[in-house]
Amino acid sequence: MTDQDIMDKAKSALGERLLEITNPAPHRTFLTVGIQDLVAAMEKLKNELGFRYLVTISGVDKGDVFEILYHFGYEGGNLNVRTRVPKSPGTHLPSICSVIPGAVLYERELQDMFGIVVDNIPDPRRLVLPDDWPEGNFPLRKDWKFERPPEVIPGGKK
Amino acid sequence: MKFEIPIGPQHPALKEPISLRMTVEGEVIRDADIRLGYNHRGLEKLAEEKTWIQNIYLTERICGICSHSHATCYVQGVEKLMDIVPPKRGLYLRFLVAELERVHSHLLWLGVAGHEAGFDTFFMYTWRDREIVMDILEIISGNRVHYAINTLGGVRRDLDEGQRQHILGQLDTLRQRTEYYFKIGANEPTFVARIAGVGKLSKEMAIDLCAVGPTARASDVPRDVRRDDPYGIYDETPFEVCTADTCDVLGRVVVRVKELFQCYNLIEFMLKNLPSGEVKVKAPRRAKPGEVVSRYEAPRGENMHYIVSSGADKPERLKVRAPTLANYPATVEMLKNGFIADIPLIFAAIDPCICCAERTVETVDLRTGEESTLRFSQLRALAKERFEKNPRKGTGLWPF
Repeated sequence: MTDQDIMDKAKSALGERLLEITNPAPHRTFLTVGIQDLVAAMEKLKNELGFRYLVTISGVDKGDVFEILYHFGYEGGNLNVRTRVPKSPGTHLPSICSVIPGAVLYERELQDMFGIVVDNIPDPRRLVLPDDWPEGNFPLRKDWKFERPPEVIPGGKK
Repeated sequence: MKFEIPIGPQHPALKEPISLRMTVEGEVIRDADIRLGYNHRGLEKLAEEKTWIQNIYLTERICGICSHSHATCYVQGVEKLMDIVPPKRGLYLRFLVAELERVHSHLLWLGVAGHEAGFDTFFMYTWRDREIVMDILEIISGNRVHYAINTLGGVRRDLDEGQRQHILGQLDTLRQRTEYYFKIGANEPTFVARIAGVGKLSKEMAIDLCAVGPTARASDVPRDVRRDDPYGIYDETPFEVCTADTCDVLGRVVVRVKELFQCYNLIEFMLKNLPSGEVKVKAPRRAKPGEVVSRYEAPRGENMHYIVSSGADKPERLKVRAPTLANYPATVEMLKNGFIADIPLIFAAIDPCICCAERTVETVDLRTGEESTLRFSQLRALAKERFEKNPRKGTGLWPF
């Protein structure tokens, strides 16, 4: 599939749901969908265009919104589905595991690192952060800074 | 009756800290659960605090075996952001090191597979030949593990005619020995009986669970970034994507040995068609604002770096996806309905990252307390001398 094929097919398959589609470099296509259409768009992409290989999911902190990118691989390049979720306490994102079962680890990583709540995720446990990690600390948010906890010497300092 | 047994985070069968929880019924594994994070270093956050150049050395340290893969993946993404094109000779040298790294990683894995199957002779043979590749890498870059040959805009060292001839000569030895391993790996009855039918992963499951690299290719999914989305010089070099259709550990051995031959062909092609000229161009200090997706076929599968730049001298965001993470859902599937005794073999078959030990150059003479720096040739001479004077039965003397 050439880049132009992907652009045309995505336009016809997604229709109204497609907010923006660009092709900034050869073999790289970026398309944007709304958060409410995400799962439906993934189903269309998988069943009608044959995108089954999810490389990873990236989250980017853009100030007042989180940008979530779903990177797909295919024979001939890479397609990136972008969606934006507003940053608020308990930001919600629908899970795409019903469409692509291999996405579960990346969604768990998003929950750990950005504090995005993924709805309907088959396995909501922590993935990379330790079990005793304090609640409400999400390391990849831009406003998070690491503060080393004060060293406590058993028995006190003399 | 079902039991849950924990394996790891520290366990003799595993080479890196990971926790596997197996639900077993008798000897048969019914379910497996993987818990990660024992080795999480917060590297993506750290990358946002370092400059473009500093991050080359940071990404190189993500993995101790495929160190060149992560650095190359990062560097070729940043070069796109900076709008610079490395000279042809620089690219050839960069991917020459990449293919040599693939050879050493596959030879290392073959040894580990032999070791986990209880075939330690195979392990010692393959690791002996891996030394040839490690020496070549040291000749090219000066280092055995973290080659540090990449820089923004090309590579840091050039290759001279003598080195080129030396590597071409060594390739013949490697080819001969690999043919022998192919014969053993695919035909030796005891070895094949141990690995055939173990760790089944059907083609459908491999596609659904987004498996990558030799794990996917052994399940007959011809997925290789070098062919699917050619980067660097791979659109002008001849190679084939190797697959197997047995969907088990035997298939993973066959795929990796076949890939070794492809690597030798690629290395020979690159050395024989090495263009002349400069090896690098000067890179600016800042990158243009933008985003780039960089993909790279590491020995274990696809590496992906997603880099966002805001126009500063540091990245806004660096997302790293290493191939081992992508293969975990597939590993859980492989473990199901297998035996407890197969766990190390199946787990080793996806080639999870293992740290390599560095070799020391600063030596202390224990008897005199003298510190000295030894050259590699001296070290070799010492080893030879030691071996020749090795006590034989009946002539042995207490050395001190």
